[in-house]
Amino acid sequence: MLTALFVSCASAQSEERLKACAACHGADGNSTIAGTPSIAGQPRIFLENYLVMTREGIRGTDVMQGLLKGVPDRDIVALAVHFSKLKPGTPKEETDENLFRRGREVAAKNRCASCHEKNFQGREQMPRLAGQREEFLAEAMLQYRQNRRPGGDTLMAAALYGIPEADFKALAHYFSRLK
Amino acid sequence: MNKKAFALAAASTLALTIQAAYAQDKPKPPPAWHQGKPPALAESKLAPVPGKMTETSAAEIPIDKMKLPKGFTAEIWATGLVGARAMTLNEDQSKMWVGTRGIGRIYEVSNEGGKRTVKVLAEKLTQPTSVYANGALYVFAIDKVLRYDNAAKGAAGQPVDMTQAFELPPEQHHNWKYVRVGPDKKLYVPFGAPCNICEPPTKEYAQIRRYNLDGTGKEVIATGVRNTQGFDWHPKSGELWFTDHGRDWLGDNGPEDELNRLSKPGQNFGYPYCHANKVVDPDVAKGKKDACKDVTLPVTTMGPHTAVMGIHFYTGSMFPKEYQGVAFIARKGSWNRTKKLGYDVVTVKAGPDGKGAKITPFATGFMDPKDDSFWGRPAYLAQLNDGSLLVSDEQLGAIYRISYQK
Repeated sequence: MLTALFVSCASAQSEERLKACAACHGADGNSTIAGTPSIAGQPRIFLENYLVMTREGIRGTDVMQGLLKGVPDRDIVALAVHFSKLKPGTPKEETDENLFRRGREVAAKNRCASCHEKNFQGREQMPRLAGQREEFLAEAMLQYRQNRRPGGDTLMAAALYGIPEADFKALAHYFSRLK
Repeated sequence: MNKKAFALAAASTLALTIQAAYAQDKPKPPPAWHQGKPPALAESKLAPVPGKMTETSAAEIPIDKMKLPKGFTAEIWATGLVGARAMTLNEDQSKMWVGTRGIGRIYEVSNEGGKRTVKVLAEKLTQPTSVYANGALYVFAIDKVLRYDNAAKGAAGQPVDMTQAFELPPEQHHNWKYVRVGPDKKLYVPFGAPCNICEPPTKEYAQIRRYNLDGTGKEVIATGVRNTQGFDWHPKSGELWFTDHGRDWLGDNGPEDELNRLSKPGQNFGYPYCHANKVVDPDVAKGKKDACKDVTLPVTTMGPHTAVMGIHFYTGSMFPKEYQGVAFIARKGSWNRTKKLGYDVVTVKAGPDGKGAKITPFATGFMDPKDDSFWGRPAYLAQLNDGSLLVSDEQLGAIYRISYQK
């Protein structure tokens, strides 16, 4: 009975879910909340993988896992398509030129662009970094390197192996200031 | 300098001192991802092929595109197993368990009355695989080992946590495990190199170990193994044969993946200094005399970047005689190569001593070389009691059955 109700109300459910997403990630997918990432313009496959793994309880935060509990694949695909099509916001914070330059150097040395693309807009399973929230990026990199990001690609942890935390901060600053 | 600034400066000096001391204790290898990526490939955009994390229905699988030798046919045997990798079966084959990587699940497939039903047995694990032996199902995640007792008619209840006994190292990259129980009733467990190319941070990596079923009696039986994804025991010699992935970023043509044979415990298979057929590593073997000394070379190389996965020596009676004792090997297919290669199942016919190895394509058509597109990625093999062969497709989360009729 409940299942039947859910299936017949799938679109209404999706609306509700979009509202729940918007509450933290912004109606346009650009977050204004510290620690909460922007999701506008993220590659569809990245979003899809992230949402599935969070639903499975192996990625993401408790809040995200709670929101995604039992969400079927088809609704996850719809959410991923929706946010991948939104326009990423323009960075508004001031830029620290030294930190920005250092970040650019570290990114070049570690060839981040080889997967995340030249403008760091991401592709396929590899997320967009340009314009992402600075503190979110820095924390995510730290979590990867310390194996505190379960479900993440182990390749990313390996890619960050041996990079000092100060350089994560520079990288985060640099990426967050890119359009 | 004001007080606050002084405190900050002191703190950062302390941090630097700690960092320096740490660096002296344990020199860290450079990051794995770009390591060994020469300037000529600095701009290369090659990256791993994304997996598919959502279910694919039978209607969406273009099974007709699979090409097989005359007399063989393929059918879709099971679907809905997102990320399906290694398969293990109980004695009467009424139950099968299938592991995954990213999605963290172990599936239990019930095979009854000619139909398959799939349920998730275990979830939220870090890249788990499983192996069934003597009534028990062993689940190996990168950081956890679980045992389901009395699993012969299906696994149920709470598993026993055996993690402590296995001394699993912390690094996760290349540490998904293919696990089997050998003819000696021991668990065979690989530990990959946690990087593309590096001297591993400790001696716990780039090796195959075996343990007693309870995790005691740990023994390293092969070293210099970068990233084996499958093994089987030769039906005549009883020796362990295993696949191994070659390193990335040395160009389209190599070093090739390997098929190896362990003829005595303790052999060294070359990583990180000596790859494939004596390819000396240009990054880590610099200045090293005779990098390939005492290295056991492969039975055969298996193509550059082809991603050799599961191996199965055929012992059934359904296939024609010439397939008896022949190794079937799934090649999931390349990413670190400008033109895709692999995406197939091949056979390797060789003597029990590994001599005279000949590779022949068996199941192809998963990839179209004309436009480099693909639909499936064959990963693992299993033989049914009727002699037909199962192939898992990690990309579409499905299992195909290949049978033969004259």
